[in-house]
Amino acid sequence: MSGLQGYVDQRVLLILQDGRAIVGVMAGYDQKSNVVLSDSKERVYSPDEGVEEIPLGLYLVKGDQIVLIGELDEALDQSVDLATIRAEPLPPIRY
Amino acid sequence: MLPLSLLNAAQNKPMLVELKNGETFNGHLVNCDNFMNITLREVYQTNAEGDRFWKLKECYIRGSTIKYLRVPDPLLDAVKEEQKMARELGRSARGSHVSGSGNRGGRGAPQRGGRGGMVRGGPTRGGRGRGRGA
Repeated sequence: MSGLQGYVDQRVLLILQDGRAIVGVMAGYDQKSNVVLSDSKERVYSPDEGVEEIPLGLYLVKGDQIVLIGELDEALDQSVDLATIRAEPLPPIRY
Repeated sequence: MLPLSLLNAAQNKPMLVELKNGETFNGHLVNCDNFMNITLREVYQTNAEGDRFWKLKECYIRGSTIKYLRVPDPLLDAVKEEQKMARELGRSARGSHVSGSGNRGGRGAPQRGGRGGMVRGGPTRGGRGRGRGA
């Protein structure tokens, strides 16, 4: 089994090379790590405001943009009040 | 579900494509290939800053420049349903092949005859044999 199979139908956190953080349910993937996310939301972090969740819906992210895929502990995630989180957004990767 | 099967099912559907440079393209998918090269029609192009817009009748986007695509939500269920149907069709075709019943055969090729044809061929040969013996 390939490394991503265990994440299918799980809620995951995706970090992209431009610094974006997207959470969604992984509906599928392929050999090149292209990923289908359903019910996805972008989490926008800022130092002086709570985290803003922007609904994105059904997303197909190209594998070459993906930095990280992590399984989300849904119980833990829901126990966090995003409105209270203050954080610098991730900067994009610089080449 | 494979990302490319979702993309293929998105033909003629509206979508948003963001390129690695941040430009976005809103349009209807005309065609795509396995490299994720795509053509869109009736396109609104937006620059990375989001302050300038262009309208294009049609455009071609090289797959390697794409960051992500946003497609309509109902597409996911449509593709899931399609794949379920295809699986069930395949299973019923294989099932009839294994049991050797009927001439539907495996792999969905009734013209080739499959098992059913060969079984019918048996008695014919047998008949010829008896004929020569007598």
